[in-house]
Amino acid sequence: MRDVAVVSYAQTPFVRSERARNEVEMLMPVIDEVVEKSGIERRKIGFTCSGSTDYLAGQSFSFVMAVDAVGAWPPICESHVEMDGAWALYEAWVKIQCGEVDSALVFSFGRSSMGETAETMTLQTDPYTLAPLGPDAISMAALQARAGLDRGLWSEREMAEVAVRSRRDALRNPEAQLKGEFDVDEILAEPYLVSPLRKHDCPPVSDGAAAAVIAAADVARQACEKPVWIRGIEHRLDSHQPGSRDLTLSPSTKAAGEAAGASSGRLDIAELHAPFSHQEIILKQALGLSDSVKINPSGGALAANPILTAGLARIGEASRQIVAGNGRRALAHATSGPCLQQNLVCILEGD
Amino acid sequence: MLAAKHAYPRRWPESTKRGTGPDKILPPPVADSSLLSQQGVVIMAEFPISFTLEYPYTRTLGPVIGPFLTALRDGRILGIRCGDRVLCPPMEFDPDTGETLRPDLVEVGPSGTVENWTWVAEPSRKHPFQEPFAFAQVKLDGADTTMTHAVKAVGQAAMSTGMRVRAQFREERTGSIGDVYFVPEDDARDQSIAPGEGEVEISTHLISLTYDDTLYPHAARYAQGLLDGKFIGQRISGDKIAIPGKGYDALARVMLTEADDVELATTGTVLSYTVLTPVKYRGQTETEPYLSATIILDGAGQSLTQQDIRNIPLDEFRVGMRLRAIFKPAAERRVDDVDNDWMYPSIGDVVERWEPTGEPDVALDELPESM
Repeated sequence: MRDVAVVSYAQTPFVRSERARNEVEMLMPVIDEVVEKSGIERRKIGFTCSGSTDYLAGQSFSFVMAVDAVGAWPPICESHVEMDGAWALYEAWVKIQCGEVDSALVFSFGRSSMGETAETMTLQTDPYTLAPLGPDAISMAALQARAGLDRGLWSEREMAEVAVRSRRDALRNPEAQLKGEFDVDEILAEPYLVSPLRKHDCPPVSDGAAAAVIAAADVARQACEKPVWIRGIEHRLDSHQPGSRDLTLSPSTKAAGEAAGASSGRLDIAELHAPFSHQEIILKQALGLSDSVKINPSGGALAANPILTAGLARIGEASRQIVAGNGRRALAHATSGPCLQQNLVCILEGD
Repeated sequence: MLAAKHAYPRRWPESTKRGTGPDKILPPPVADSSLLSQQGVVIMAEFPISFTLEYPYTRTLGPVIGPFLTALRDGRILGIRCGDRVLCPPMEFDPDTGETLRPDLVEVGPSGTVENWTWVAEPSRKHPFQEPFAFAQVKLDGADTTMTHAVKAVGQAAMSTGMRVRAQFREERTGSIGDVYFVPEDDARDQSIAPGEGEVEISTHLISLTYDDTLYPHAARYAQGLLDGKFIGQRISGDKIAIPGKGYDALARVMLTEADDVELATTGTVLSYTVLTPVKYRGQTETEPYLSATIILDGAGQSLTQQDIRNIPLDEFRVGMRLRAIFKPAAERRVDDVDNDWMYPSIGDVVERWEPTGEPDVALDELPESM
């Protein structure tokens, strides 16, 4: 295996609604910043991979348009996943492992605010037995939350505590969207949105873009003062039929974490992609994280959840924490599909 | 894969869908000094755009889902044997091992137990009910997995984990998952269902998503130009003019501003054309052959495609011919279909006709280059 490091990360501020700039205009400054920070010349980056979906943009081949932000003339070697940017980073990592390239630019973007995001997410479900019923993302998460409440695995208060802590931590993140001091009792007094979820248990609708540059050891060492090493990166999948799963568990997160080496050393920080409050509790349990691990110092997906960018942002935020010296070893997690169906775990380490 | 997927996206302005299309004129631009972009630039005019994107999917069903949906149409619910378990809804593969399952289908239900539920107080237009209802995971009697489906109950207080529910079948059944729903067992009524004819082998699923956006600032200036009877392009590298502009220069990889806007001439040259001969199909309104031309405006680096020509006889039309755009009267100009889509730029419905200028043709080897 080749040693590969995250050498730089950049993002837009995540906001409720981006209207003045198109996707390319959102991306261009982010790409400029991430490439400059990487210390690698833009033209020398061997591979580009993006994560996004046309369903967010409401236009076909929106990812082709986005390549304009990178500069595709003279031609570049480029790929795209209809997935979160965390999986684009995975593809780039594989490409470097194969020895085809030594460095890669990864980015993702989207404006969730334009469409009916919760309903768009139903398109991830089984098209024969589920999607026609319109099981939106919030209703699916609500089923998962209820399953744990019924079995006494977590309480509504514990869910509210996750939300309060996330939005408090987000106060220190200038790029987070939903932040502030909230009171657990006050938010528990609010009505249900889709029971047993209240508004605070759900992520905000967010627009934004993020980008990272990763590189093999020799390039990373030369270009960058503080490379953040990817010690392991794996992803696993649970059944697409929610009725065949125990929704209170996340075996795919557990398997991905084990394969990535989550337990092979002390973790200081975990950036978990948990769009709904109870999902953090499930992930923490699946990954066996002790209370000494600082969870989501960025505020996590409850503070900003740009669809298909929030996962890549977890990797970026975890690497920022290591660069800032707030920890030496971190876990970053990304999720996709209803009720944490597909999960990616990335173990990051400073020198 | 089980499915043969097949879908062509359809897209139209939301106004058209509401049936107000032909009469609708885009609302005048809203001048609002409170609209600030992130760079602090005041956006002087805003064109709201709303559109619906539809993907009508048609899928073949295969040996497991086909019989399952056929049975639903006929008022029965089937599960599939998987080892010593029964999965409902049935799957083609063992969810734990991925092994292909024999299509050994068994009837389950029609009653079952709610294992898990949520109350949807404000249903969306995509939901099976337009009044409050529950999504629930129902373990049908005889099955070992749950079906995620809708329960129609009087209120949230009527729902609880462990409650008994029974399947009810809709009057009109199409061989789809929506043919059935559940009610609390006490509310259930007996139904006699007449089986339908033949096997259900195809399912249709209409994906319909509505988007609300506003025209990007450069696109708004372009649209305003069309309403004013002008073609506004943007100057990009190589001293070329793109029409419409993208708001940025893709070759030089720099942002453009209003200062890069350029008004182009209304005259241009025919680069190519095709003759469309209408074939008869449902909804076809064309009867006579007509021309569709690619025209490059004088000074532009990029051509306008698919310009209908109906005022010039087919045998008089030629590449290199000089034309002038005659705009419609201001009150009749519409830019409803000018949007942010980068692949299919439109010039709206502002040009009445393209009229020969009478100038000599441009020689074929002197035709301007189009990007």
